[in-house]
Amino acid sequence: MGNFDLLKVKGVSRRDFMKLIAATTAALGLPELIVPQAANAVEKALNKPPVMWLEGMDCTGCTESALATLNPSPAELILDMLSIRYHETVMAGSGHKAEEAYQDTLKEKFILVVEGSTPGTAKDDSFCMIGGRPFRKILIEAAQKAQAIIAIGSCACEGAGIPGACESGAIGVAELLRNEGIKTPVINLPCCPVKPATLIGTILYYLTYQKVPPLDSQGRPVVFYGSLLHDNCPRRGHFENGDFLTDWNDPIQKEYCLILKGCKGPKTYTDCAQVWWNDNANYCINAGSPCSGCSEKDFYAGFSPLYAKQEMFKLPGIGQVDADTVGVVIGGAAAVGLGVHLIATAASGRLSKKDHKEDM
Amino acid sequence: MAKVVIDPLTRIEGHLRIEVEVENGKVVDAHVIGTMYRGIEPMLRGRDPRDATYVTERVCGVCAGSHGWASSLALDKAFGANVPAGGRIIRNLIVGAMYLHDHPLHFYHLSALDYIDVMAVAQYQGKDPGLLAVKDKIVRLVTAGDTAPLTPRYKPDDFSVNDPELVTMAVAHYLKALEMQAKAKKMSALFAGKQPHQSSIVVGGVTMLPTIQVVEQFRSMLFEQIEFIEKTYLQDVLTFGTGPLLPLAQAGVGGGSPHYLSYGGFARDNEGKDLFFKAGVIMDGNLSKILAVDEKKITEDVQYSWYKASAGKTPYTEDTIPDLEKKGAYTFVKAPRYDGKPIEVGPLARMLVMQPKGLMDIIAKYNIKPGAVARHAARAYETVLMAQDMLTWLDALEKEMGSKDFRIHDTEHWEAPATGQGAGMTEVPRGSLGHFVKVADHKIENYQMVVPTTWNFSPRDDKGVPGPLEQALIGVPVPDLDNPVNIVRVVRSYDPCLACAIHLIDPVTNNVQKFQIGW
Repeated sequence: MGNFDLLKVKGVSRRDFMKLIAATTAALGLPELIVPQAANAVEKALNKPPVMWLEGMDCTGCTESALATLNPSPAELILDMLSIRYHETVMAGSGHKAEEAYQDTLKEKFILVVEGSTPGTAKDDSFCMIGGRPFRKILIEAAQKAQAIIAIGSCACEGAGIPGACESGAIGVAELLRNEGIKTPVINLPCCPVKPATLIGTILYYLTYQKVPPLDSQGRPVVFYGSLLHDNCPRRGHFENGDFLTDWNDPIQKEYCLILKGCKGPKTYTDCAQVWWNDNANYCINAGSPCSGCSEKDFYAGFSPLYAKQEMFKLPGIGQVDADTVGVVIGGAAAVGLGVHLIATAASGRLSKKDHKEDM
Repeated sequence: MAKVVIDPLTRIEGHLRIEVEVENGKVVDAHVIGTMYRGIEPMLRGRDPRDATYVTERVCGVCAGSHGWASSLALDKAFGANVPAGGRIIRNLIVGAMYLHDHPLHFYHLSALDYIDVMAVAQYQGKDPGLLAVKDKIVRLVTAGDTAPLTPRYKPDDFSVNDPELVTMAVAHYLKALEMQAKAKKMSALFAGKQPHQSSIVVGGVTMLPTIQVVEQFRSMLFEQIEFIEKTYLQDVLTFGTGPLLPLAQAGVGGGSPHYLSYGGFARDNEGKDLFFKAGVIMDGNLSKILAVDEKKITEDVQYSWYKASAGKTPYTEDTIPDLEKKGAYTFVKAPRYDGKPIEVGPLARMLVMQPKGLMDIIAKYNIKPGAVARHAARAYETVLMAQDMLTWLDALEKEMGSKDFRIHDTEHWEAPATGQGAGMTEVPRGSLGHFVKVADHKIENYQMVVPTTWNFSPRDDKGVPGPLEQALIGVPVPDLDNPVNIVRVVRSYDPCLACAIHLIDPVTNNVQKFQIGW
């Protein structure tokens, strides 16, 4: 039986399959050239890759986000692309049936997806127990046997997101593995929640090349986390001009820079400006919401307060003026409404991109 | 007597363990155990209050939007913000769209596998091309020996539907609903930034100034949802509930507490007087007497929870510190009580308070008793009502957008006040949700949430009275100890969310009387 015939038996027609791969690569902005290569690699894998998906100290938001994909569809993702052997939110079995699925998967060559943080030490094990066992121990056991680990969402990545700011001793997957001396490769896909295109693209990359993609210092694939949001922000021109949004009601300010509302774009590496969320429906900045920096290890505690401009975020041209003065200038301007951008522009003048970068 | 433990209890949000004692084939005692704790509220203390909408939004990614919304309602009061009509309506639309996501997802993807024998699809003999494609797909999975995640599972029992025609239709709708839930999230995201974990809802209103194009895109997606909800989701629930599952429905399996609570929610006016979901309390199953909600009757017990006991009993006066060594305690969930009694919240409670004629007629005609099946029916019915009402919200929004001073945010009250407090009490997909905030020195002094699953999945209270689910499990038939499928049916009928239910509640000294119920 040829490789494709076997795939067909898995419930995927060749046409559907090529469509799926093409749609996925297109959604990721990968060149069309990769399509045959990716298709070939997936076919060569013979089986849909077995996936064990563990949920620790999580909110199920990353599962929900993965299921928000429309291209490929959620059904294609969970039934055609992957063989999801263990996933508490979608699997049929409970209790001993779920445990059976977990044990069986351990015997295979599986990819481990982890959603949520883990207690860092035995002292905090009680904060997350599954099947009567500490989640931390389940994670260590599965991590040792997995081919590769994909940590999804800020909670599972460096800094552990919001749980990382709490007192329950939560840490990310890679940190636990470092502490335990486990060498299984970890790919971090932060954001709160994970972006479906990032997850699907990473799995596709792994299947195509049979290796972990190039990662940055926070363990994130450079292809998705290699560029600064601020550099790709459609509002960047307004930032340079000193056009800052102070009133969400004002249609004139609608596309203005959100830095005074606390935007963390200048410190955040993510492709959100290029690849939007929910089938390209929207993303935070387009919705007038300041970026919270959720793809960074400093998220959440290091970036709080989220809705105030912090000193580490400097404005163009007035970077040399101390932050209090800027506050006064902007605060006074806000009172006269639309005048704000004019005043800020006059106060700052324009900066060359190079100068500005040094400011950031 | 035999003990049955189900852990992990899957296809719910979060981590849940159920322990029951079975005697003569029936449950005689039950313990409901939440097994994960993060501690989000104490982390909020001392922070900029505006962060709370963002942080609490992330309590749960399934009821996305719910916590951010309740938080904004609490902060609006604490800040003295007057949310303009545009902001109020857009918030309602963001969360409304998530009802259209949550409820069908709960029925098809979290619950249906307990009621159908998926493998009966292989026996489908009909000619419908769509259903034949579904048959083809499932048969191929079976042939390949890879039916995950549809297996392993509990064995189908006497109540399982195994009619090939019906099952194949259900599986086809399972796949269709997977697409529709993604589209509902997309719809919400049009105003919300993204889903899950929207960013648009902030204190004072929303951040997304809409265009007519976006409103019309939302409307067209809403029509597609309505088509699915009315012609597929509601019909499937009725086909199953009044067909093969009628014996379960009439026996009221999983009935539980006869008390029901709805705070009311989704204001259709700026004063919060005209609510889509009505506020009310039903005691002892007396549907002819809907009582007003009195927040002073809300108390919380912790004798059986892993928290230290406190002098105060109301959510505003209690003092709660985790105590993992506590003797007799068995869960991270606390025990809220209304007028001293365990009380059910959620779609069934809302519909019994609201009593829409269409649903009440079905209940009367088929003699359906409160229980697992009734919960599914109430959930489907309120989804239909919600979707229809949302059309009128869109009209109202467009009317507002046409006015010269259209506004979405109270900019005057954006900065945190020196002091303030507020409660945001509303209805979210899983039931009555309350957020309570106290601001001092421009920072959060106290923050707490009383969450739907905390009500429904509470443990025994200080008097030893079991919580609503613990009561609902008593008497549930378990003929085969290795196959406790009826237990998971009852548990899932509440659509539990354990990530929501478990959080540390802070010491607070808020003045109860100042909190108002209903918007």
